[in-house]
Amino acid sequence: MADLDRADVLRVIDAAAPDSPVVLSLGGIAREMLAVAGRKGNQFVSLDAMGQTVSLALGLALGLDGRAPAGKVIAIEGDGSLLMGLSVLSTVGHLKPDRLVVFVLDNGVYLATGGQPTASADIDFAAVALACGWRGARDVRTADELTAATAWALTTEGPVLVRVRISTAQLPAGYFLEDPAILAEDFRRWLRTH
Amino acid sequence: MTGAEEAAEETGETDQQVLQRRSAAVIAGIEAIDPDHVLHLASSTLKIVLAHFIDGPGARPGRRVFAMPREEEGVAIAAGLELAGARPVLIFQDNGIGNLLTALLTLSQPYHLPLLAVVSRRGGLGEYNSMIHTISERAEALLDAAGVRWFQLDVRTPVGRWAAEIERAWAFARATHRPVFVLVNLMGS
Repeated sequence: MADLDRADVLRVIDAAAPDSPVVLSLGGIAREMLAVAGRKGNQFVSLDAMGQTVSLALGLALGLDGRAPAGKVIAIEGDGSLLMGLSVLSTVGHLKPDRLVVFVLDNGVYLATGGQPTASADIDFAAVALACGWRGARDVRTADELTAATAWALTTEGPVLVRVRISTAQLPAGYFLEDPAILAEDFRRWLRTH
Repeated sequence: MTGAEEAAEETGETDQQVLQRRSAAVIAGIEAIDPDHVLHLASSTLKIVLAHFIDGPGARPGRRVFAMPREEEGVAIAAGLELAGARPVLIFQDNGIGNLLTALLTLSQPYHLPLLAVVSRRGGLGEYNSMIHTISERAEALLDAAGVRWFQLDVRTPVGRWAAEIERAWAFARATHRPVFVLVNLMGS
């Protein structure tokens, strides 16, 4: 059983990279980040588009290459969503965007829809990423490992992937019903001013 | 030259000559946009266009040209590029439209992110694959059902106008804050 809860992991990532562009995957990841960090300009909330979180962050990392804001471009993805668009690992490995950091929060289930199992238990995401040409990947199970891996990911040339095994505990968080056009414009405005 | 005159001129051309002339027009249209990222997916009818960008004169410094394994992945990458202020163009074949609709309708369209897709037509006259028409000839209907704006370039539009129309489609996507598809028939119809 995983020691880490999703909300705790999200707090660690937000605290470690408060001024980095972050793409939040749909469902619990987005809702719980909003619950623990509030609505922040540096966070792009994906309301749906399952399977495309890493692709979106890849586009951001490529588009921001050599431009402000400096620092890492972070994707926070779930295991179910990553498995829906697993081919992006090969695209990232091929293009090697040095600013891209991907956290995969792996609870082994599609939690938002009732806890149906994903195939993640049999998949070594870190090994897949490395085999695809990523520059680094780590597997995290404890709070200490998460702290160390987060510091490593934010200071290491990317692309790097951190798989974080998390529990199925959920933070009470309401639905987030903002207009997506406003979300996009808020994020663009943040990018323009940082 | 009028459309009728152009069509008459094309009548005397081989399929390969038509392909070359129309491909050159598509290349000119995309180059006029000056994209900094060109995302593509393999297509035999697009081979001239893709060769220009992959290892031809269009493979220039400062421009990233790369394959997207699936069209929906390309849509999402382009969304990120657009948010970052880049100038992406997607090039693929119409039998991949089904793959991208969910990403397009849950990301680009509702988030008001412009996107230009240059999409080659298949499944019409001159087709050599016995089954691709089963999806390709429904491309317009699929896009209509999804509410995606598209324009068609085929024998009805003089080839001399194609480049300008593609450039206008880019501007239209940005003016209307949404994806715009240009369906290009390179096979002669």
